[in-house]
Amino acid sequence: MRLRNPVIAVSTAALLSLAACGGSGEDPDPSAGGESSEEVTEGSGSGKGGAAGGGSEEREGAAPEIEGAEAGGTMKVISANGLNTMDPSEAYYTNTYSILAGLVTRSLTQYVYKDGDMVLIPDLATKLPTPNEDYTEWTVELRDDVKWENGDPVTPEEVAYGIKRSFDRASFPEGAAYSNDYFVDGDKYKGPYKSGEDYKGIEIDGNTMTFKMATPFPDFAFWGAFPAMGPIPTDEKINDPAKYAQHPWATGPYMFDEYTPEKALTLVKNPNWDPATDPGRRQLVDGFDMEFNVPTAKIDQIMLKDDPNTITYDNISATVFPDFQRDAKDRLVIGTDPCTFMWYPDYRKITDMKVRQALAFAYPYGDAYAAAGLIEGITRSYGTNIMPEGIPGREEYNPLPEHDLGETDPEAAKALLKEAGEEGYEITFLYAQDDPISVDVKDAIVRGLTNAGFTPKPVASTIAEASTVRADPDADINVRSGGWCSDWPSGGSWFPPVFQSTNLDEEGLGSNYAAFSEPEVDKEIKRILGLPIEDQPEAWNALDQMIMEKYFPVFVTGYGGVAIANGSGVNGMEVDNTTGMPTWKDMWISK
Amino acid sequence: MTTATDLETLSAGGSSASDVGGGPNKKIVGKSPGRIAFERLRDDKVAVVCSITVAILVLLGLFAPLITSAMGIYYNQPPEGPTGSATDYLNAFGMPSIGPPYYAYTWEHPLGLSPGTAEDNLAHLLYGIRTSFFVALMATTLSTIIGVSIGLIAGFSRGALDRGISFVIDTFLAFPFILGALALSPIITSRFATEPEQLARASLLALIAVLVIFGWMGLARLIRGQVLSLREREFVQSAQVIGVPTSRILFKELLPNLIAPIVVSVSLSLPGYVAAEAGLSYLGIGLTGTPSLGQTIVRAQTYYEEYALYLWAPVVAVMVLVVSLNLLGDSVRDAFDPKTRR
Repeated sequence: MRLRNPVIAVSTAALLSLAACGGSGEDPDPSAGGESSEEVTEGSGSGKGGAAGGGSEEREGAAPEIEGAEAGGTMKVISANGLNTMDPSEAYYTNTYSILAGLVTRSLTQYVYKDGDMVLIPDLATKLPTPNEDYTEWTVELRDDVKWENGDPVTPEEVAYGIKRSFDRASFPEGAAYSNDYFVDGDKYKGPYKSGEDYKGIEIDGNTMTFKMATPFPDFAFWGAFPAMGPIPTDEKINDPAKYAQHPWATGPYMFDEYTPEKALTLVKNPNWDPATDPGRRQLVDGFDMEFNVPTAKIDQIMLKDDPNTITYDNISATVFPDFQRDAKDRLVIGTDPCTFMWYPDYRKITDMKVRQALAFAYPYGDAYAAAGLIEGITRSYGTNIMPEGIPGREEYNPLPEHDLGETDPEAAKALLKEAGEEGYEITFLYAQDDPISVDVKDAIVRGLTNAGFTPKPVASTIAEASTVRADPDADINVRSGGWCSDWPSGGSWFPPVFQSTNLDEEGLGSNYAAFSEPEVDKEIKRILGLPIEDQPEAWNALDQMIMEKYFPVFVTGYGGVAIANGSGVNGMEVDNTTGMPTWKDMWISK
Repeated sequence: MTTATDLETLSAGGSSASDVGGGPNKKIVGKSPGRIAFERLRDDKVAVVCSITVAILVLLGLFAPLITSAMGIYYNQPPEGPTGSATDYLNAFGMPSIGPPYYAYTWEHPLGLSPGTAEDNLAHLLYGIRTSFFVALMATTLSTIIGVSIGLIAGFSRGALDRGISFVIDTFLAFPFILGALALSPIITSRFATEPEQLARASLLALIAVLVIFGWMGLARLIRGQVLSLREREFVQSAQVIGVPTSRILFKELLPNLIAPIVVSVSLSLPGYVAAEAGLSYLGIGLTGTPSLGQTIVRAQTYYEEYALYLWAPVVAVMVLVVSLNLLGDSVRDAFDPKTRR
């Protein structure tokens, strides 16, 4: 998933984190439209190292009552970023995804917060989807008592229609491409607008739906939690993409009242949502008033001074963080998002592994974080694994035993460069010259690399252009920086998109920013995707380690973190570690 | 013809400072308009104070490299220079760990260090002032030359050429300035993307070019209007009758009569360009790679509560610069035009 907001992500993370997103294969360039982006995943346990992303469980009936929870009140939500498209088929930013799935739209499955982790439970389905033996066919039984916001029942045909819509990369270029990647004919079927409603991959029998995959897709149930995997009205007058994004029909507890893109969104109670049909969501708050594009400094001050019913899902700035810790510690909500920020040396250009390793020694971790306004240990932490904390099976290792986490060691880098005979190696990387933070980060990196015996050549770009240039395989740069946030807690949303060979001529880089290509790794990815689901976590972790120790194609500059805040009247706000967003389903207001 | 009285006055002219329009006993003094204006200016307290302020700022900007190297401060590196690490001077939240806002004042960094990068704020300020003056001076000089030439030609030539030039002036006036700057900035960036030093120079020149391209029309119109009325005067007509070449009429007969409006325009456009440079850099479409007060303000604005000095230093610098140049400009205008004298 892409991280919310084009501007700030580039800003705060700039070159550290022009992240990627999107599908792995068919979509030629999932991140091009998305400026800054990142992907976000489901369930990395917050700081619980390897605690298995919460897993999944069956649930029935209404969501359990929260002890002491009060009903009523309107919650105000402020953010420095606007919402990108709110069409469920295209909601792939962490904010759009989280707001839609948490409050407005229902899909096959959903996540609920449980003891610090997110647990996958059924949503429109009565039970979690069941696969056949090799994960090429998934069966879902739908509830028959779910209604649209106008009171009409939601039919399996409408669910099928919505899912078919998720194949349409032309109408929804920023949407996730998992349907195209895994479903039968995913590369040929182009959604109901282009290819008609006739698609052989989805079969409906009464309330039972069967989905056919072209390749094994063990993570189907996680993909089912995306808003794209839910119903859409079949009438083309209603579901016209441009229009529908202004008012997606609600099946969840809240519906759109007024929506002014980039400015404000008002959600009110959906009278036709029945709590008995929904095991995850609640309708405690009367409504949500969301305001976008609020200046960051203003958000910091509003949150610090405490406006009781207000929350923000933007990270608190490093500058006011100490004040928060001193004055409003209980209103600060700290958690993790499942993002890894990496430097991706171009595998075709920097062919010597020693040079890539030298880069990991040379990178000025501390100075770059400070310049980007990140707080070490809170909004950015060090690591070496490609998969961030909380993904099942993850075990820490260090591919460079002499390199201490987060340490910059110019001497070691120089020694490695000397060994490789590549002293003064030229490193070309992008920065956005119209973003002062990006410029500061660039200056820090230039200093660090120079001290370590490299010849840094920063390449100027602009906030608007940077991600497009970065996605161009022929761009005149030999290092790309970015972040990847997985879409669900499994190596399956890490290695296929980021380290599988891509056809550069046809598909571009996709999210494989290193242009990494090793037949051995491709083969291993294929093999793991076909393994029994319980053996996969360990296999992914082994692959993680194998890639780093044998090829060292990238190095981790850090993992993401979340430090958001709520007003004193808001209760139940935790960090949904699948997105780094608030746990909308559990929040209520005390009077 | 020269009378004896006049000769006497001329020889005594230097000493008889400001007794213009004095009593009947005073000698009548012949002075050029420029001289009269200068003397009025010298008596104007505001003008004197502003001139001194501007002079100090010009000196600070001019000697910025000397001052910073004497003090051992850097505008683009942490205190220890290129091999140093910024984190040594910053706490966990990116705020400076020496000097303001949290620690005792230190003379090594009189305005403190910048959060996040540990660069010296004073060095930034000095170089920012230097850049401001450079941009404003260049833009003013070029736009004045262009505006005066075009205004002279348009005003003196009748018929099609005048209409053509007026149309061009109107077109440029109609073109949105910010839009032009916005459009130009990414083009320059992509052209010089791989050469940071050239990019810095290119963006500086581009900024001046943008300011000039959208800044010459006002003066051109003003001059054209003046020329339209002057060219019907007897001295111009007689010059034409006796066959004086047009260029000579323009530059020897007309131009000296236009000195007052030109000086006024120059003195008022200088602060305008200083503000425009800061504004455009603030918007991210101005300078890159060159220290600028506008850019420092962008960086500092989120720190207004935690670290007020960081924000106030460049804001006050821009304010002092613009206000003193503006007041000076006002005084110059008053001095040249006694009717508006307060």
